[in-house]
Amino acid sequence: MRNDQLDAELFDEIRLRRALRLEAAELPPRLDVAAIAARADAARPAFVAASLMSTAVAGLAAAGLVALVAVALPSVAPGLASDLYSDGLQTFARLAIPASALLSLAAQPTIPIATLAALAVGIAYELAQRRERVIEVTS
Amino acid sequence: MATSVALQLGFPVTATVTPVTFAEGVREHQDEVYGVALRITGDRDAALDVASSTFFKAYRAFDRFDQNRPLRHWLLRIATNEAISYVRTRGRELRRRVDVEQATTLADPTRAPDAEALAREDRARIRSAVSLLPELYRVVIVLRYFNELSVDEIAQVTGRPSSTVGVQLLRGRALLRNALEVRP
Repeated sequence: MRNDQLDAELFDEIRLRRALRLEAAELPPRLDVAAIAARADAARPAFVAASLMSTAVAGLAAAGLVALVAVALPSVAPGLASDLYSDGLQTFARLAIPASALLSLAAQPTIPIATLAALAVGIAYELAQRRERVIEVTS
Repeated sequence: MATSVALQLGFPVTATVTPVTFAEGVREHQDEVYGVALRITGDRDAALDVASSTFFKAYRAFDRFDQNRPLRHWLLRIATNEAISYVRTRGRELRRRVDVEQATTLADPTRAPDAEALAREDRARIRSAVSLLPELYRVVIVLRYFNELSVDEIAQVTGRPSSTVGVQLLRGRALLRNALEVRP
């Protein structure tokens, strides 16, 4: 069974090789190396000019961008700084309201923080040890 | 001839591992480059265009080519990429031209088929089936069975992992087998 499959594959491969081989009638005319070189050399100045042009355009665009930033930054900077400062303050105030509520809750004498902390440590320890709970059955 | 062209092209002959000039590379590999283009595009004019543009691009990049690496793989890589992009951009026009070419090479039904005619017909059927394979499989099948490259070499040429090339060869062969069974 396995041999039959191998034979079939081998046959396929031989058929494929034979079919894809170039026949004498299919052989291409000889390529003219000098013509290729001449064509490439003729295209080279245009290519060089195009690349120089694109480099110049990119350089001009970059210079323009830098100039724009340099001109605009001094006028925008003070406003930007004050905006950033006020936004920071707003964010701080927004966070401080729920945080102060939590802090006041934790400060209540009815909630012993130490107990909560001990419970948390105990749970963490148990998880770390991966101990199974043992239920003693007394009958 | 080769020396004069090499000198004319101005490529330095360095003392590394048997450096080849561009002219020698063209002379040695043009049939193979043309062949891979022909088997991928399925059209002679397209194959000539692809071979020509392959050597054109190779010439422009030849001074940057690492002479310690095999020139054959580099040229085959350019040629397969060129052939693929040719098929992608001119696929419809190409398919029509290939169909006409195949129609004109059909066997004469009034003549009794001899062994040679049958073999020719079989080759034509296989080539037609290869040209109808999806590009992904066609390229690896052509590189394996026309160019006789190993899986690792195909991986180098196509830039695909060797394992992917192996799977694509298997799948491509299976698709070919199905296509040849369906269209006897």
